[in-house]
Amino acid sequence: MNRSRAPILKLGDTLIASVQEALMDADLVGLRDELVAEVKTYRATSVIIDVTVLDVLDSFAARTLRHIAQMTQLLGARTVVVGIQPDVAFAMVQLGLTLEGTETALDLEDALSLLNIKIGRERGAH
Amino acid sequence: MENKETLLPEKSIPSSEVSLRKAFLEFTDDDVAVLESVNEAATHYADSVIDDFYKHLLSFDETRSFFADPAVLSHVRNMQKAYFKRLTQGNYDAEYVADRIKIGRIHERIGLPVKSYFGMYCFYLRAVLKRLRDEYKEMPEKAYNIFDSLMKLTFFDIGLAIDTYIESREETIQGQEEAIRELSTPVLLLRPGLLLLPIIGLIDTRRARQLTEQLLRSVRANRAMVVVIDVTGVPSVDTKVANHLVQTVEAAGLMGAVSIVTGIAPDIAQTMVRLGIDLRRIRTVGDLQSGIEEAERLLGYSVVKNSDATSRCGKDGP
Amino acid sequence: MNVPIRSEADLVTARLRGREIASTLHFSSSELTLIATAISEVTRNIISYAGAGELDLELVRQGQKVGVLIVARDRGPGIPDLLSAMQDGYSTSGGLGLGLPGSKRLMDEFDVASEVGKGTTVTMTKWKM
Repeated sequence: MNRSRAPILKLGDTLIASVQEALMDADLVGLRDELVAEVKTYRATSVIIDVTVLDVLDSFAARTLRHIAQMTQLLGARTVVVGIQPDVAFAMVQLGLTLEGTETALDLEDALSLLNIKIGRERGAH
Repeated sequence: MENKETLLPEKSIPSSEVSLRKAFLEFTDDDVAVLESVNEAATHYADSVIDDFYKHLLSFDETRSFFADPAVLSHVRNMQKAYFKRLTQGNYDAEYVADRIKIGRIHERIGLPVKSYFGMYCFYLRAVLKRLRDEYKEMPEKAYNIFDSLMKLTFFDIGLAIDTYIESREETIQGQEEAIRELSTPVLLLRPGLLLLPIIGLIDTRRARQLTEQLLRSVRANRAMVVVIDVTGVPSVDTKVANHLVQTVEAAGLMGAVSIVTGIAPDIAQTMVRLGIDLRRIRTVGDLQSGIEEAERLLGYSVVKNSDATSRCGKDGP
Repeated sequence: MNVPIRSEADLVTARLRGREIASTLHFSSSELTLIATAISEVTRNIISYAGAGELDLELVRQGQKVGVLIVARDRGPGIPDLLSAMQDGYSTSGGLGLGLPGSKRLMDEFDVASEVGKGTTVTMTKWKM
């Protein structure tokens, strides 16, 4: 994967992957592998993936994001996806994609407070 | 696939449609030749026809009002003159069509009613008929042929112009409906992070989409964490509407906002369950007030009543 | 406009061209995203199942309305059970299958023609409301 497309920053125990431009499938898969590797290496407890820049999140992207959340969870980390834009969110639900079980937040700031302070806003919680 | 056609570059009426219309009007190359043959004569009396035309227009209050602005009047007059001459210049092709469409749009834009439009065309044709009768007194058959061809072409023009007239009107109406829709569904910011979307009236797919769009943009703009969607004012909720609701809630969820739906009457809830909608996917609370309280709780607010507050507001006092 | 679909990179191109063409009709931003997403889904199918194919983008008119016509064509293996592929468990996991019912929801008109061994053609239209 081209690292410049989605650089991963480390903030304490948190990894932040910030997507810079449209990702091809290979990039997404690469991002997944990189994040999993780094969670292992740094024993990260949280992962934030910022997709603000993406104008389309199709079934493959949604699936991959879910996989990232599932795989990192097995390694003891919590993943939050942030930055899904209104149009993208709308297209996703029309398509039937729900990122079931994966936490989401509006932006980086909200994700950080979500990870520090739990106020019962987990995706899927009723 | 029923009659989908590729658009001409200028987004005009497709060429096949143009051919269809000409065929229906029985407008052929012979007609083109006939009209071209009188081009010289037509140019000759163009001015007098146009002058009569505008004299007629300006003698009626209603139509005069549309050409009150002298600049508009002069501009339109020149355009009419050009139009008149164009009628006998042949080559009634894509460019000709585009031009007629443009004229229709302009008339619609200045608000000219269709009745006046038709009235104008009628006067016009009659003015030409009169001159043809005078010009070809010895050859009535020729006058007849020319008028026959002209009538076909004129009706072709009217068809084009009226079409775009209607189209422009529809666009205007749609724009107004859009504006009304936006006004009638305000998304309210009750507290920092708490949005309220009260929905009133019937929801169709279009309105539902628009509501969702507005709500989601508002979530982003206000960084909302909780959204209360109140459907008390929605008279009936069928599968479609229920699905829209679920979709809206899920979309807001993707943006990190929790949704609380209030005002679903018990019988509607029953219908929804019977329709197979998984109500567990949305958080519902009976009434709006409880919904807002729940939202406030989620956000960490607690509402406390001051002990010395009056229990009734108003001139009567407590 | 024709966009050859031969690799993943073409998926991104296809979305971009789709957006560009559709925006000339002044679709809303939301509608443009729907169109781009549908294009992403169907062109992805081409890469995944057929390896290569093409995407045709056209502006069309029908009576008073205008819209964008998208045709995704391939000479791949075809879809053996089209009926099942078009079935829709509404809360889909979003991963399995071809994503056809989902794409159908994004567009106004949707048609799939497929022959095993010959290929698949997905035709979809979105009208400007």
